[in-house]
This record gives sequence, structure tokens and C-alpha cells, in this order.
Amino acid sequence: MSYLLNQLNAVRHLAEFEAMATSKKVITREEWEKRLNDVKVRKEDMNKLVMNFLVTEGYVEAAEKFRLESGTEPDIDIATITDRMAVKKAVQCGNLEDAIEKVNDLNPEILDTNPQLFFHLQQQRLIELIRNGKVEEALEFAQEELAPRGEENQSFLEELERTVALLAFEDVTNCPVGELLDISQRLKTASEVNAAILTSQSHEKDPKLPSLLKMLIWAQNQLDEKAAYPRINDLSTGALEDPAV
Amino acid sequence: MPTSAPPPSNYPTRSEDLIGRLNSVLTPYETKLKTLRELKNQIIGNRTKKLAFLKLGAVPSVVSILSSAVAENGGGSNLEFNEPVIIQSAAVIGSFACGLDAGVKAVLDAGAFPLLFGLISHPNEKVVDASARSLKMIYQSKLAPKYDFLVEKNMDFLLSLLNSKNENVTGLGGSIITHSCHTSIEQETLSEAGVIKMLINLLRGSLIQRDASLESLGAIIKENPGVISKFMGPENGRALNVVTELMKDRYPRTRLLACMCLIHIRNASLRYLQDAGIKTKLILILFELIDDPGQVGDEAPFALSSLIAEKEDLQKIAFDSNIVDKLCNHLEKGSFQAKRLQGIFLALADLCSKLEFCRDRFLSLKAFNFLTNVLTHDSPEVRAAACICLKNISRSVKNLSAGHFMNETVITPLVRLLQDTCTSVLIAALGAISNIVVDFTVHKSKFIHCGGVKQLVQLSKSMDSTIRVNAVWALKNLMFLVNSMCKEEILLELSPSMLISLICDPETSVQEQALALVRNLVDGPMDSVEYVFAEEGLLLNAIGRQLQSASKVEVLIQVRSDFSCSDLGLCLKKKTYFMCARGLLYLKVG
Repeated sequence: MSYLLNQLNAVRHLAEFEAMATSKKVITREEWEKRLNDVKVRKEDMNKLVMNFLVTEGYVEAAEKFRLESGTEPDIDIATITDRMAVKKAVQCGNLEDAIEKVNDLNPEILDTNPQLFFHLQQQRLIELIRNGKVEEALEFAQEELAPRGEENQSFLEELERTVALLAFEDVTNCPVGELLDISQRLKTASEVNAAILTSQSHEKDPKLPSLLKMLIWAQNQLDEKAAYPRINDLSTGALEDPAV
Repeated sequence: MPTSAPPPSNYPTRSEDLIGRLNSVLTPYETKLKTLRELKNQIIGNRTKKLAFLKLGAVPSVVSILSSAVAENGGGSNLEFNEPVIIQSAAVIGSFACGLDAGVKAVLDAGAFPLLFGLISHPNEKVVDASARSLKMIYQSKLAPKYDFLVEKNMDFLLSLLNSKNENVTGLGGSIITHSCHTSIEQETLSEAGVIKMLINLLRGSLIQRDASLESLGAIIKENPGVISKFMGPENGRALNVVTELMKDRYPRTRLLACMCLIHIRNASLRYLQDAGIKTKLILILFELIDDPGQVGDEAPFALSSLIAEKEDLQKIAFDSNIVDKLCNHLEKGSFQAKRLQGIFLALADLCSKLEFCRDRFLSLKAFNFLTNVLTHDSPEVRAAACICLKNISRSVKNLSAGHFMNETVITPLVRLLQDTCTSVLIAALGAISNIVVDFTVHKSKFIHCGGVKQLVQLSKSMDSTIRVNAVWALKNLMFLVNSMCKEEILLELSPSMLISLICDPETSVQEQALALVRNLVDGPMDSVEYVFAEEGLLLNAIGRQLQSASKVEVLIQVRSDFSCSDLGLCLKKKTYFMCARGLLYLKVG
């Protein structure tokens, strides 16, 4: 990761420097690596970024281990992470009733003051009932629990109608709202509830690392207009690729 | 023959069954705990279920369980479950109170309030959390009992709440202040007790603490320049900077609350925050907050109104940032939330209060249809807001004289609103009608035929003086430049004796409007002056008496000398007319 950070800094410096130039400058690998080496990134900062990532995403054991190995303190109580991860896992496995109970145990205010989130959890519950072929139960649930929410809010009503439409199709894989049955829908809901819990605990809901990577890509794109230089094209390896001469 | 009990009409529903389990002495304690948890999970987030369980008497049952558990705490046989039962029942109570006035009422009636307060100092942190949260929910409702800051014991308790390490408890302290701090004495008492400094410290705390602090600061500084200068004082560090920074916080609610604090400071004291930069910033932030789908988006338009009301320069800045378009877009999205609709219409009303180009923009966006549609909305607040908006838009002389407002889609619902049960709606509707009937074309008969005059006359007999004065105002405007035929039609409903009693009304404001109404009545072709001699001159006498008892010197001297003459020849009639007219022109409100 330090490689990526160094690259980001180098790119930004060069972009500022080249602001005045009109034609594209070419920078060799040798020159570039020299610039990279001049950039200093503190180990503590990197550790904090890693810890922030592990903690926000909920990797409890990894966070504990990392804490022991690096001496970095997490900015959030690890005990609360376990609770949050249990909720996230429950949603990802399709156990919505369990997830709702766990959120309410953690903090009853969250669902009581967040109608959109509550609706999405109930909607996911309906989707799971439909997925398991429990048609009658699904209809009853939709009528009793979701319809009143739809009455209170127009956008909920539209979402509800889309979900109930799943019941109208024999072959759900081919119906226009089929994507609701995708695992991605579960992950979306899980992410939403995770963010809400983090917010209630005053923690930022997104880890910082992805933002840094985005900034690297953006900065490289900016610099591309002014110079040819060794680029990182594959973020997972962080390998520098020589400029086309 | 023994009589048998009638068979049950239906089997108990699942909900009734649940309540039954809670109430029964035969239910084992562990099962009661499970049942409480089940109830909690059913009602959280679900308004319909809350209402249903309220009807079944859930709240008294739960409070009773809480009460026994608290009494047993420390002793008794159910030690293992005692604290969980307290936690779950407190959570259930809090959920019933969350955003539901009927729930708050039930909770208060059942005696939960003192129980919950007793639990704030419980050794188990989870018990403290549950009770503090529930109390906070109660304090978010107007129905919560007022907290008396002026009693020393209460102030000490409040300070202990604000000092707590537990963020839910400090949050509760904040909610109490927000709920109960209204008068300037209360604001000053809190300020003197050092509450401001504590709240400023909390601004650096967790999300809950920041938001609670911002909201309570708003309540303490609102409309109080003295307290504001304390707030800005050196002993509070750079409080203003901290709040200004929070305007850019990542959480929308924090941004909104920070804006509101700054708006309060701006409105109460011309010394602070007057530069153009902050004005634009506030408007842009509110502009963006209006898009929030939740409660923040509902409240943002109200904040905007607070900022721009009566201030043309700010209305202009808001207009330049395309806020009229944004607000009208939200109307188009068909939002059903009453609070949001009310906020949007009030903000539009403020925007259109003085600036013609705002009114033009609104009318050009075809948003007028939404306005006329919500005149029949279920919520009285929305109806009133729509009327106020309509009143301000109809200040557009250009559109008035083009007769844009004098058509059935507008008049029919407006006249119906004259029978509205809610006073604020009535007054707002009267305001709108007052403007619309000034219509310079000949369309006033439409209003008359809709039954408008009948309603106005009815309202001019109201016990409420505000309603009376607004009704007479509307009649006065209706009478303005109207043709003789319409005058006759109006006078069919508005009898001279009625007019006399209005001229002699106990309220000066009503008298003024009534006299101006008469002026409009006699205005026009020469024979219009005849009206004043109706009822064998009683009307004229009434006018004369009124001008005599009023204390406007120039008027009285002239008129008195004329009235003393008993000759009712035409030349005197003319003279009297001119004296009256001049007198009325000079008459000012006492």
C-alpha cells in the first residue's frame, strides 16, 4: 500500500509542476522511481488506514490481530463491531427477522427513527418469503406490514409494488424485477443497515482506503493529459507499467 | 336451567394473545421477558402496530411490569431476569413514545415518567441507556411535562445530566432544554448556570451529543440578544467558529441544526453574521438539505423561511440560487408528507412575499395547480400554508388585474375554507381572499355567486376579533371599485344594521376596516352616497358618533360642525359625503 500512496503523491506533485507546460512530457522509469523514493509516508498513518478499513468493514479477528502486531489502536470499540457484524451476516444470509431483532437489541432508536431503512429491511423480508415459495405468508406479510408503510410514503408504495410483482411471475428469473432476488439485493440491504449502525455510533460509514485509491486513479487521469509516466494500472498488484514512448 | 356464557365472537388475535400473556399472573417471568421483546420488535418502526397495541392497553401493562421489576430490583427471586425485563420494558415504552403523540400520552398517563427518571442513575449502563433513550423520545413531544428550570433542584439535576459520561444521558439533557426552554427568563437562567459552556463542550463529542447540543443552544439563544452576546463572549472560546464548522459536517441533521443556530444569531442580533458570504452559504446549504428524503428535508424549508422572512435581500439571493424551482420540483414529485408540504408552501410564501419576479417564476412553473389542489388537504397546517402562499402570490397586481385568480378552481375551495373548523386556516383563507377580491376586472360577481359574501358576513360576526377584522377587510376589498349591481348583491347579505354594529365594534381595528368599507361603498357614481343614509340616517349617525369618539383632531372638528346641521338637502348630503370621505381618509388606527 505504501507504493500506492507514494505513487499518489508523486503524481500530484508532477501534475502541479506540469501545469505550465503545453506539450506532453515523458518521464522514464528511472526518473519516476527516484521521485517515488523521495516521498515519505509514515508507517503510523498506513497502520491507521488499515485498522480503519478492518474495523469499518467488520473484520474483528483481523483487527484484533493487527492491533497486537502493530500496536495501532482502533478508533472504535471492537466489542461493538461483533454486534454489528452479526446483524450484517444475518441479512446476508437472508435471516431478516433475526437481523431486525439484533438491531433492536443494539439500539432500538435506529429502526424507529429511520423509516427508509426499516422499510428496506421489511422489503427484504418479503423477498425472502417469496424466494422460499411461501406465497400466502408473503401476501399476508405484504398486506399487514408493508402496505401501511406504502400508505405513508409514495416512494415506498412504488417499491412495494415492484416487490409484490415478483409473485405475479412463474419464472422469476426472467421477470423485470428479478434483480430483487439477487444476492446483490441482500448485500445492498446489509450495507445500508451497517451504515446506519455505524452512524448511530458516530463512526464514519465508509473506510478511507477506497477513497484514497479513487483519488489515485483520478490524479493519474489528470496527469495523463500532461505527461507520459509509469502508471499503476492494476491496483491489486500496484505494479508500475512503463509509459508508451 | 343454567345459563351459559355467550360464545366468543372471534378467537383472540395474536396481538390480544400477546397482551394477555403480559397481563396474566400465571405467565412465568422468563416468558414475560420474551413477550416484552416480541412486543418491542413488533412495534419498532411500525406506526400501525403501535396504534393497534395502544388500543389493546399495552402501555399500562408494560408500565406495570416495569414498576414491579424496579420495586424488586436488588432483591426478589427473579434476579437473573430482573434487569433484562427493566431494559426491555423501558425500550417498549420508548418506542410507543417515538414520534407518536397518542403513545406519549398513554405513557405519561400510565405513570412511566417518574419510573424512567429513577432509572437514570442505575448501575447497569444498559438500563441507563434504555431509560434515557425513552425519556428523550417523550421529550421530543409537546405533550411532555414542562421542565421548570427556575427550581434550583431541577437545574442541578439538569446539570448532572449534561455532565454525564453517557451520551444518551447528555442527549436527554439536551432534549429537556430544547423542549422546555421558551421564555427569556428561562434562557437567561440556563445561561447563568453555565449551561452554554457545557453545551459548547458537547459540540466536540459524539453525534448524539453534537446534535442535542446544537438543538438546545438554538433554544437558549433564540430571539435573545443578551444571551447571544454571552454565547459569543470570550469565555466560550470560539463558539461561533465551532458552530460554523458544523455547517459543513458530514451528517445532514448536524448541518441543519448548525444552520438554525446561525440563523437565530443572525435574526436576533444585527451585530453578527451580516456579511454576504455567510448569507449565501446558509442559503446554499439549506438548498441542498431540502433534497434529503427524511426528517431533515422536512425541516429545511422551515429553516429557510426563518432565514428569509421579511428580508428582501435574502429572498433575492435565494431566488438567484433557483430555490423556487427546487421547491416546485418537490411539489411535482408528489410528496405526501404533510410537514414537508407545509414547509415548502411557507418557504414559497416567504419568497413571493415582496419580489414580483419570484411570483412570476412560481406561476410560470405551473406550480399554481399544486397550490389549488392542497387547499383541500387533510392537514390544517398544509391548508393554512397554501392560503398564505396564495395570499402572497396574489399581491402581484399584474396577475390580479389579469383576473388569473378569480376563477372557480381558486374561488370554490377558498370559499369552502371559510367554513373550516381551524381558526388559523380561516384567517389564512381570509387573507388570500382579501387580496383576490381586489380584482380590477369585473369578475367579482363570481365570488359573490359562490356564496363568498354570505360566508364573509357570517365570519364578521365571529367571537374571535382576528377573524372579524380579517372578514371585514375582505369585504372592504370586495367593495373596492365594484359596480352598483354587485354593491346591491353585497348589501343583500351585509345589512346596514350589520354595518352599523361593525362600525361600533369594540375592537378599533374592526372599526377602521368597517369605516373603510363604507368609504368604498359610497365611492363611485353620485347616487352611491345614498347608501350612507340608509336606515333613516342611522348609519350616518353611527359614523358620526364614531368619528366623534375617536381621537383624531382634524377629522372631528370638520365633521362635527356638519353633523350638527339637521337640514338634509342635497347640497348638505354632498358636503357630508365629502366630509366623511376626507375624514375616513385621515383616520388612522388608534
